[in-house]
Amino acid sequence: MIKIAPKGAGLCLLAAALLLFPFLFPDPFYQDIGVAFLLAAISASAWNIVGGYAGQVSVGHAMFFGLGAYAPLLFYTLFGWPPLAAIPVGILLSVALAVLIGLPTFRLSGHYFSMATIAVAELIRIFFGTWALVGGAIGLQGPAVARGWWDLTFRGDLAYYYIFLAVLGLLLFVTYEVGRRRFGFYLRAIKASERAARSLGVPVRLTKLKALALSAAFTSAAGSLYAVKTGFIDPDSGFGILVSVQMVIVAALGGAGTLFGPLVGALILVPLQSAANTWFGGGGSGLTFIIYGGIIVLIARFEPGGLLDLWRRLVPRLRRRAHAA
Amino acid sequence: MLLEAKSVAKSFGSFWAVAGADLNVEEGEIIGLIGPNGAGKSTFFNCLAGDTLPTAGRILFNGVDLTRASPEAHARAGIGRTFQVPATFEDMSVLDNVMVGAFLRHPHRNDAREQARRIVELTGLKPDQSGRSLGTPGRKRLGIARALATEPRLLLLDEALAGLTPSELREAIALARRIHESGVTIVIVEHIMEVIMTLARRVLVFNQGHVVASGTPEEVVRDEAVIEAYLGRGARRPPLTPPPAGEH
Repeated sequence: MIKIAPKGAGLCLLAAALLLFPFLFPDPFYQDIGVAFLLAAISASAWNIVGGYAGQVSVGHAMFFGLGAYAPLLFYTLFGWPPLAAIPVGILLSVALAVLIGLPTFRLSGHYFSMATIAVAELIRIFFGTWALVGGAIGLQGPAVARGWWDLTFRGDLAYYYIFLAVLGLLLFVTYEVGRRRFGFYLRAIKASERAARSLGVPVRLTKLKALALSAAFTSAAGSLYAVKTGFIDPDSGFGILVSVQMVIVAALGGAGTLFGPLVGALILVPLQSAANTWFGGGGSGLTFIIYGGIIVLIARFEPGGLLDLWRRLVPRLRRRAHAA
Repeated sequence: MLLEAKSVAKSFGSFWAVAGADLNVEEGEIIGLIGPNGAGKSTFFNCLAGDTLPTAGRILFNGVDLTRASPEAHARAGIGRTFQVPATFEDMSVLDNVMVGAFLRHPHRNDAREQARRIVELTGLKPDQSGRSLGTPGRKRLGIARALATEPRLLLLDEALAGLTPSELREAIALARRIHESGVTIVIVEHIMEVIMTLARRVLVFNQGHVVASGTPEEVVRDEAVIEAYLGRGARRPPLTPPPAGEH
């Protein structure tokens, strides 16, 4: 007989698996995959607030990721600040940029917002590539040797794993709370029908702007985490289109607009990327684009709601079969 | 006066969809807007709801000028509306759909839920049913419930009862009566004459962007201009038949 675990039990199991993962798989290779999974899950969950819940598909979220990534390394390079101290600066800059983009584009309907996000992200990438202060095309480096824990420069991946996990936990909690409150109801209403939402008194532009700002703040934090972990940032790894596309794909694969969709997407995509890199070495780097393209086609054609939606439809069927058996 | 629309006009290029229409609504009335397809009643209706910006004219609600105000501002001022094609929030349950409206006056979740539950009960819907699974009658009812949750003083019903079977129609008319009895003023655009003749105390007839007649349902159905609007010039037979006496 098939038994379907209740929601609470599934949640405890997920938390336990995430907490114990580094001990169950102590090999540095797996821990590296674990950290990459968490980073992808944080980035996609952050995108999910505006792209999934509010239905405002940004294809340029790398602009917030990149600002978050550059801030700690730039302030370290210029003033010797510990990277930790400049993370809030990156968040503030990202929120300001989000408001700057959202104010004009949310007045328009249709795909203008998506197009504007791509354009701005690309402009910033090109600009950073020629700006000497931020290292131009070469980029910036973080502290080679830690001066203290506040430099967030650790030898192994274990410390990063738990820092990333804590941020993911905070983000999921915030998203959960948003979903329960008026703000979350408004986001879902806007996604379904802006016109109807307006007629019910929903301040559509302000709500979208708030969602974008919140999403930008967490995406920026994800960028900062990436930069302190790798100790290096350049225009392509910060602002590249692939960074943005990965957030969209991860969220859409698992289920955009659901709390755990981005986690499911990251759980599938990150090991897949890692496997492709291992099997094909440097020659497999272009394979990522092919995988992304294939996933976009499959999701759009067969499962627009993502894998979690598929699972939700399958559970009642499995339950019925279980009862019949 | 609850609502005053003065010389409201709306043009699309050189075409005047509404060419200067007036409407005064007193608190507690039920007013019907009728007219052939393309007469301009929906455009006029959208101007009243803030969905369409009038080219000319003024719209005052409770003495406040809402002519250029957004739909959100209309809702805040106390004007609720439904849509001809119900814009259901499909991924949300019936209760959650209604809660979106209830949040306007009740920012806290529990208060909004409480208010939404009352409205769902009044409209005879199932709170846990998903929006996606509702049929046309359910969606129309949900549209009304959502608008009611904003606690409007004036409810604009845009063909909210179209596409219903006769028994569903009777239920929907009874619901509209209950809403009216609770103190809500109603302006209704409807093609189904049974609804207009049964509910409305005053009717405005639109044709080619103008109000061509107004009065009680009995008066307008005998009006020459109304007959001409529906059947064309030269027609003599009344197009609209009032229901038998006693049904009002």
